[in-house]
Amino acid sequence: MADVLQAVSAALVETVAAAEPAVVRVDARRRLGATGIVWSSDGVIVTAAHVVERDHDITIGLAGGQTAPATLLGRDGAIDLAVLRTEARGLRAPAWAEPADLAVGGLVLALGRTSDRLLATLGIISALDEGWTTPQGGQIDHYLQTDAVMYPGFSGGPLIDAQQRVAGLNSSSLVSGLNLALPAPTVRRAVEALLSGRPVRRGYLGITAQPVPLPDVVRERLGQETGLLLTHVEPRSPAEKSRLIQGDTLVTLNGRPVRSLADLQAVLSGEQVGERVPAKVVRAGAVQDLNITIGERGQAAA
Amino acid sequence: MTNILQELSADMAGVVQHTRDSLVRITNGRSGAGAGTVWSSEGLIITNAHVVQRAAPTVVLPDGRALPARVLAHDPQRDLALLSVKASGLKPLALRDGQKIEPGELVFAVGHPWGVARAATSGIVIGLGADLPEAAATRREWLMVSLVLRPGNSGGPLVDTSGRLLGVNTIMTGPEVGGAVPVHVVKAFLREATLN
Repeated sequence: MADVLQAVSAALVETVAAAEPAVVRVDARRRLGATGIVWSSDGVIVTAAHVVERDHDITIGLAGGQTAPATLLGRDGAIDLAVLRTEARGLRAPAWAEPADLAVGGLVLALGRTSDRLLATLGIISALDEGWTTPQGGQIDHYLQTDAVMYPGFSGGPLIDAQQRVAGLNSSSLVSGLNLALPAPTVRRAVEALLSGRPVRRGYLGITAQPVPLPDVVRERLGQETGLLLTHVEPRSPAEKSRLIQGDTLVTLNGRPVRSLADLQAVLSGEQVGERVPAKVVRAGAVQDLNITIGERGQAAA
Repeated sequence: MTNILQELSADMAGVVQHTRDSLVRITNGRSGAGAGTVWSSEGLIITNAHVVQRAAPTVVLPDGRALPARVLAHDPQRDLALLSVKASGLKPLALRDGQKIEPGELVFAVGHPWGVARAATSGIVIGLGADLPEAAATRREWLMVSLVLRPGNSGGPLVDTSGRLLGVNTIMTGPEVGGAVPVHVVKAFLREATLN
């Protein structure tokens, strides 16, 4: 009786067990523990920034019940990621799935460790889309959403796919009410930036913009349907200094098409801060070439 | 020729059908209804203490017969009650006891959520323990499940993929998270009830 059903259930249990060594408890806030993922066997742990409420006296709980102290290496609140280091040895880092390996509708388990024991919920990948910007201005390479229940303390833990890889790092506070996860490229980039001691940099232009259809002539010439209409240009911003004006439609930046706000955010990912890059805008119906110096998003520029 | 989803679906329906044979409805006069789980073929029914608000509730059996029930034991601490009806040939579920319950296991609940008779929901085991988030304050052991429970599910069975009883559905701590009293707690309750 129920051969397939039992096989599916057993495979789910096996998938949870396979991921178990990679899932740690993170004790860094007053009430409830949260979850973290072993990033590398030398003791680097990734978790959600919002569960790390203190900078000192952080403890990691490992599979098997041992605990170890950890230090905070850094955090990027804009993408809700924190990186810790523990002296614990014998950690096993899990394999990560790249966004191209994932598909909407695929089964995923969300795992958490709020006490010694591992906890699990099941769902599917609800949405997998292009890059997006968090309300705090963080850039995330792919929009990854699940319907797996985020049980209390699951933030910072892994979303595991059917191939037993980490599909993303769960955060229930990136956008309130949505179960979103950070995909591998975003976590990797942020960890590398934090480990290298460089602050996470974010490109900045100082514009408000919205996507608009391009005029037919431009569309044919560039092979691109939409661009970004600048509805506002901040005074003394990098955009204004680069001679962008309200009413321009930005169509390419640094040789890459700018069809949407997500495209723009992907180009402004940080490496170009301070660089002078080529751009094309539609102004008064004609395409013009400009050079734009990308600024850095700081406290002054929200 | 069937594909694996069709097989899975047929298996799930089979487990639910099997479990429904052990599900009863418990009514307290005009006020709402809860669920109950057949414990013995000779008429013992297990349910939640909070489902049994009167000394003489009515139990509606799977075959539709409505019988008066006696409350043999009532434990608000464990939120369990033992009832007895004059019936025989009832179908108790096999118990899943002893074998460790693992996070990730598929599970099914049947009950009467919002009064919808004999409705089923499915989900997985989140975990088992007394120190889980949302349940620690109760200081009781819970089998937490990622599964939709609603008023009317209380007292009904939670089963595994073989249709074995894992626990008695008792609380909801969120829209998609519920808790069951594990079978070994039910057995401890029954041991005390029969000693008394």
